[in-house]
Amino acid sequence: MTAERQRRPVVLLRPVPGASVIHELWAGTKIIVVFTVSLLLAFYPGWVPIGLMAVLVAVVVRLAHIPRGAVPSIPRWLWVLLLIGCVLATLGGGQPVLHLASVDLEVGGLLKFLRFTALSIVLLVLGALVSWTTNVADVAPAVATLGRPFRALRIPVEDWAVTLGLALRAFPMLLDEFRLLYAARRLRPRAVLPDGRVKRRRWLSEMVDLLAAGVTVALRRADEMGDAITARGGTGQIAAAPSRPRGPDWVALSICLAVCVVAIWLDSQGYGRR
Amino acid sequence: MGALSAALAIVAVVVPFAGGLSLLVMVPMGLLGYRYRLRVLLAAAFAAATIAFLISGISGFMVVLNCAYVGGLTGIIKRRGRGTPTVVVVSIVAGIISGLLIIGALAVLVRLRTLTFEAITANVDGVVSVMSQFEPFRESAVQTRAMFGTALQYWPVLMMGYAIFSIVLVSLVGWWVLGRVLERLRVIPDVHKLESRVEVGPVAPLPVRLSGARYRYPSADHDALRPLNLTIDAGEHVAVTGANGSGKTTLMLLLCGREPTSGVVDRPGAVGLGRLGGTAVVMQHPESQVLGTRVADDVVWGLPPGTRTDVSGLLGEVGLAGMEERDTGGLSGGELQRLAVAAALARQPAMLIADEITSMVDQRGREALLNVLSGLVDRRRMALVHITHYNSEAEIASRTVNLSESADNMVMVAHAAPPTTTVVAAPRAGAPVLELSGVGHEYGSGTPWAKSALRDVSFTVNEGEGVLIHGGNGSGKSTLAWIMAGLIAPTTGSCLVRGRPAHEHVGDVAIAFQAARLQLLRSTVDLEVASAAGFSPYDTARVVAALATVGLDGSLARRRVDQLSGGQMRRVVMAGLLARWPQALILDEPLAGLDAASQRGLLTLLTDLRRNAGLTVIVISHDFGGLEELCPRTLHLDTGEMASVSATAGGLP
Repeated sequence: MTAERQRRPVVLLRPVPGASVIHELWAGTKIIVVFTVSLLLAFYPGWVPIGLMAVLVAVVVRLAHIPRGAVPSIPRWLWVLLLIGCVLATLGGGQPVLHLASVDLEVGGLLKFLRFTALSIVLLVLGALVSWTTNVADVAPAVATLGRPFRALRIPVEDWAVTLGLALRAFPMLLDEFRLLYAARRLRPRAVLPDGRVKRRRWLSEMVDLLAAGVTVALRRADEMGDAITARGGTGQIAAAPSRPRGPDWVALSICLAVCVVAIWLDSQGYGRR
Repeated sequence: MGALSAALAIVAVVVPFAGGLSLLVMVPMGLLGYRYRLRVLLAAAFAAATIAFLISGISGFMVVLNCAYVGGLTGIIKRRGRGTPTVVVVSIVAGIISGLLIIGALAVLVRLRTLTFEAITANVDGVVSVMSQFEPFRESAVQTRAMFGTALQYWPVLMMGYAIFSIVLVSLVGWWVLGRVLERLRVIPDVHKLESRVEVGPVAPLPVRLSGARYRYPSADHDALRPLNLTIDAGEHVAVTGANGSGKTTLMLLLCGREPTSGVVDRPGAVGLGRLGGTAVVMQHPESQVLGTRVADDVVWGLPPGTRTDVSGLLGEVGLAGMEERDTGGLSGGELQRLAVAAALARQPAMLIADEITSMVDQRGREALLNVLSGLVDRRRMALVHITHYNSEAEIASRTVNLSESADNMVMVAHAAPPTTTVVAAPRAGAPVLELSGVGHEYGSGTPWAKSALRDVSFTVNEGEGVLIHGGNGSGKSTLAWIMAGLIAPTTGSCLVRGRPAHEHVGDVAIAFQAARLQLLRSTVDLEVASAAGFSPYDTARVVAALATVGLDGSLARRRVDQLSGGQMRRVVMAGLLARWPQALILDEPLAGLDAASQRGLLTLLTDLRRNAGLTVIVISHDFGGLEELCPRTLHLDTGEMASVSATAGGLP
């Protein structure tokens, strides 16, 4: 028996093996770029900016040697949802009108829907690129460096960076624990219950218990980590190597800035507005 | 500090679900708001939002912030003991603030406003045109459209109303749901031990002299540590032994600066826990000791900013040379503990306390760890206090302090040598229960992260047999256990339970995980056993009978699962599993973390069940200690492959 084609799982916060220009970039640079592009697309969600950013993303994907296999399999229900959204949006109608033989088809709604979908995809891939090319160990020090200006506002950036670093450290462990929790639940027999209130109430209390089990484990781990922190005399350094941008980072930031400016300029000229 | 760290770990819980099930994000946030100060909540919200941002971009960020608001609000109001009216008032205020923010933003950003309104209009138009298709709705549809058009003209009012409405709604729903969950979580005990204290004066923990020092926990009725006289000076290697409950850990706490209930702990200066030249502690759980994601980062973690550390030298000293850039997530338990020792040494401690650091580590890791420890005192001018319940470990110390009343009363664990490979016994009488042929498994197939865990594993387990599957870290033994339990389908080959594919009949083969607490999903023992076994929780007789099979008293039935000891948790899990008469019982590291007495008790119980009830037992372990009788047959697994198939001559009883 050979198992049917396996679904490709979602792999979180683990870089694609290998080295590339993009892998080498400082984590802070990548965070800035993603943040800038997200903001840009939030304020100028026209076809032109979306297209330009898509090109930028595509180039980065090539540079980083991301194989197709890195993209998780898309579950069927997502396709169905997209299709439903598509149909609903088309029913909405609106300008422009497409003349097909004797049928007039209003595709304005559809276009808006497609634009929104394209926007989401660009943003998702952009976020995934950070996760695909960055070692999580680099994230917290980079955030600490980036957040330095905010210290003037008495925001405890250092604390936050430490928290972030520890959360990232605990993340895979807790993921494992949740996998276990889920497995433990699967091992149980399904209770046969009458429909209605009893079933709902039972389900609710089961969910609460499940959450409690998860949080108990997380808390226990947190207490142990807290002991470990105390044993080390509290917080302080979080990285052995300094975390700051280098030459290639400035180049990358300039390119990103240039593309953003071009996108805004083209958009304000009225290209691709709909 | 413990509070901050609690934040951290919990934060990580939330993120996998940030996309859809936002309730799961709210729960930890609510708990943080409930237990700790706002500052902790903010740090946690920031960390969670950043991780969400890394995973799913700006939308994930917003989702987490939203959940942090609702969870935090609920938690804080619960803590202050206020009720629903407070929630309404606070949420209206929050709604007005966010409404003002939205209006402000939209007033400035005309483009965004147009786009948002267009999007909303398109939605409304879509609904209206669908409704217009049906005669009875046509009129109301047209009216809706007209009303909507008018409303858009007064958009600031609309936005404000919307903001207040949605935030109040979300807050109330969150309050209602979370309130119940938090009630349930309130009783989870706090288990952290060490406390940081503010100390003045120079750091000088040695020599430390305990005279008549005794300790009793605030609510306890007997001493955790009986009066003790002890002096520890630099250059000493002291082993502290004793049975469970003899006060080993309490002694560690006293050495770390806790005041004794009576008697004196005398030292020339401050304890300096974790400070340069002070006291360093390494504790039991390998994963929780290591705080950095990269090996080099972990060594310096927590040192005062600007401290220069010879990271490669320290790693060399603990036998991890050249591993600076490795991820700590991929290290074995033994390597993690040696890393924790390196991090402790980075503080150039005068005294290093190792609290049962080998108990969760496999044989090979234990030897390497002991090697590191035994050389320390000679190389550095420091004292080493080694708390252990292993005989062989106490022997390498220059002197032993036994906390148990008398030596013969003390239960110590002896190490077992690996059983030698023996001739395969004659065919067994029992029918085959589990048949594995050519089983292989690869995680993340088709992705760049594909990792082969098992290759071409074939063996058969017969009824009533006891099999030990032995392998070190990363040998694929856990994967094999999951495949046998049907929890994952192998990528190649087949795993049959009584001739049927295992993964289509989850539950036929029971599995008890190493982390027993994770398998206890209900709040009390009777509910837990009933839920796992599939009978009614009101069926007391069957619950008691199930508990009796694993040697537990029926009086335990109403006990909360959080109040059970480690050994009891394992037994309760087994009670639930065995009540369903599984084809076989798989136990993953059943002895890890148990003290000697509980280990022996559990082994006797299992051996008895196998002999007398005909239970098929498969044990997954990196240890051999005392398992020969339970599992006469041993299979060795090495980097995903079966090294050799062996069985001791004994065979079936």
